[in-house]
Amino acid sequence: MSAYNPWRALQREFACRLWLVRLIVIAGLLAWWEIAARYWVDPQFLSPPSRVLLSLPSLFGTKGVPAALWITLWELTLAFVIAAAIGLALGLAIGLSQLPRRSFVPIILLLYGTPQITILPLFVLYFGIGPASKIAFGVSHGIFPIIVTVVAGVQNIKPILVVAARAMGASRWQVFRWVIFPHMIPSFFVGLRLGMAGVLLGVLLAELYVSSAGIGYFTQMFTESFDPTKLLGLISLLAVMAITCNGLLRRAELHFQRWRVN
Amino acid sequence: MIAPRQRRDALMSRGLQLGFLLALILLWYFATASGRINPVLLPNPLTVWHNLVQVLRSGEYWPDLQVTLSEIAVAFAISCVNGLLLGYLISRSQYLIAVFEPLLAGIYSIPMILFLPLFVLFFGLGSWSKIALGAVISFFPIALNTIAGFGYVDRILIRSARSMGASNAQLLRYVLLPAALPVVLTGLRIGFTVTVLAVFGSETIASFAGLGHRIAQLADAMETARMFAYIAFAVVIAAVLNALMAVVESRARRQ
Amino acid sequence: MATAREVAIRIKDVSHQFGEPGDMRFARALQQTSLDIMRGEMICLIGPSGCGKSTLLNAIGGLMRPTAGTVEVGGKPMRGPLPREIAFVFQESALFPWCTVIENVELGMVFQGVARGERADRARKSLEAVGLKEFMSHYPDQLSGGMRQRAALARALSLQTGILLMDEPFGALDEQTRMILGEDLSVLLARAAKTIVFVTHSLGEAVFLADRVAVFSARPGTVKAIIEVDEPHPRKPAFVTTDKFAQLRNKLYGLLHDEIRKAAELAVAAEPAP
Repeated sequence: MSAYNPWRALQREFACRLWLVRLIVIAGLLAWWEIAARYWVDPQFLSPPSRVLLSLPSLFGTKGVPAALWITLWELTLAFVIAAAIGLALGLAIGLSQLPRRSFVPIILLLYGTPQITILPLFVLYFGIGPASKIAFGVSHGIFPIIVTVVAGVQNIKPILVVAARAMGASRWQVFRWVIFPHMIPSFFVGLRLGMAGVLLGVLLAELYVSSAGIGYFTQMFTESFDPTKLLGLISLLAVMAITCNGLLRRAELHFQRWRVN
Repeated sequence: MIAPRQRRDALMSRGLQLGFLLALILLWYFATASGRINPVLLPNPLTVWHNLVQVLRSGEYWPDLQVTLSEIAVAFAISCVNGLLLGYLISRSQYLIAVFEPLLAGIYSIPMILFLPLFVLFFGLGSWSKIALGAVISFFPIALNTIAGFGYVDRILIRSARSMGASNAQLLRYVLLPAALPVVLTGLRIGFTVTVLAVFGSETIASFAGLGHRIAQLADAMETARMFAYIAFAVVIAAVLNALMAVVESRARRQ
Repeated sequence: MATAREVAIRIKDVSHQFGEPGDMRFARALQQTSLDIMRGEMICLIGPSGCGKSTLLNAIGGLMRPTAGTVEVGGKPMRGPLPREIAFVFQESALFPWCTVIENVELGMVFQGVARGERADRARKSLEAVGLKEFMSHYPDQLSGGMRQRAALARALSLQTGILLMDEPFGALDEQTRMILGEDLSVLLARAAKTIVFVTHSLGEAVFLADRVAVFSARPGTVKAIIEVDEPHPRKPAFVTTDKFAQLRNKLYGLLHDEIRKAAELAVAAEPAP
């Protein structure tokens, strides 16, 4: 057995720093993309990441693109806030009493499982091609996980906590305000994270569908004019937007998990 | 034996459910029948029903259904093969799992519908762009579940099989496969559901055939009653497909 | 010290059943139970599992109404919780996990309606009394089981009620923690001059802590016998090693053993056939 094995030492270094290995993998994929786009694939279809990056200023210079991105961001924010508010309200209304919960939860779950994409054209028909339909579709996707998690958070409270509060003289309002509501918060934030993913999906689907304005207009334009550089640039920016939104919500969820019993 | 109080509660909630749904349908009917609402926006339920029957009887849905089903089938087949293979290979090593699982989960968290325009650029508006999107999106849950299924098999099972002299092939067949099966099957079911959604979604957005496209086309033409009929049809098809997959999953589990 | 004492809690012919005959969950928990609890005394309820001791405690505290019989506290029949007169300590930690220890104690007072300024003061005092001065800003999940029950006790004490009901408060703890907590409890309660009803499974605990021990029969439960423990409070740890203690404990054992056997047989009979 050799005393010092450089190969082993190297392996150990990498074993400890998984994030480094992942970074290398991602860098490798980017390199592969770069080479493939430069030398193997027709430039009409694929652009190397270097070119995409360098062309970002020109993308922003394209008339209407910054506005479209900004509007999309606003749609996401508004849809999320509305979905959170409605989801919380409905979740509490359903979760707090037995009869509404037993009756409506199956309906909610059924709706949650249906492919909402089939009614996207209906949303656009009703709400028009402007931000309203995108927001509405986003809300429609986002509320369901929020409702479900709020109901769960209200329902799975240990009965003894409510009993103890009542024994100490808490009124029904006090039980809600000081016991049920704080107990539900971690579940609510899980729901918010899932809801954010839903809102992202809904808003982006609607945006891509409406090809006469907004992001959908530009994706169609870049596709039809075989401009993979600008298209990839736009997609990348939207992907970054999505990752950021998801990341923020994930942080929020972890922050509120602090005391979680299960 | 259910206590009388429980039975009463179950009946009441069932009653409330049905009552709610019935109220919605009646509201729909009376709102449209009163003539106050533009029939282009909200058609009469009877008209929708009439359209649906017409579509079903004439078989007009068939070409679009064929396109959609074939896209789903091919996309799912591709993602199955890739997902299972790659998932299994990664699961062979704890190190690889540690490196790749978070990466795959991270990429999956991006709404991949964003890649649709890119696929349309590559493959045009035909079936292949939908298949590509469906295959790419559903690859992830299948791969992730396969990794989870094979990668987290209780070490003690493997150790005891090895101690009894099991070869690699025997280990795979008698220990790993049965242990991993439930999780992998769940991944396949989720992947299937996601494929259906991805195909419907991409057809709606950018296609010239398929059920999703048909719905979008009818919306453009403001033929709302027929569109409602097709929406109902599509929802039922999706439900049937998912139910079939669920049955396949539970049958396979029982083996 | 003892003068003519008044009855703090009067339990008269209380019976309780769960569900209706024919229901899957039907059970007769208590049968014609009567007991007078004097003001300022510490009485233990002990008996086999399922004999209805916790049910009786809940009835005393107004958390439920028995199907027959009456419970009177301070001469008035119980209709619901009396947060100003009765405080509870439960077996499982009923501390709110999202609040710190001191927030938990203060919250009890919020429910009771205590003024804001007084709350912090009382909370600090009762936490110091139970020995949790350094842990006031900790969360329940950062504490051991014994410390959690101390916090629960502090919360109950801070409510300054005349009556304290404790439902197997040390049931989930290990032997050593129980011993320490038992000794501390005795010291604490000697100062507090409350009426205390304490449900327990432990013979030693009952003899060590109580003035009287009410022994329950197997289900449906009723008071089978009452044993007096004539020993001044606070009880010294050395009390456990005396002959008097051993005698009382043995007497309890004798009374309980048959009931415990009976309860075990009932449990086996109640299980569905394989």
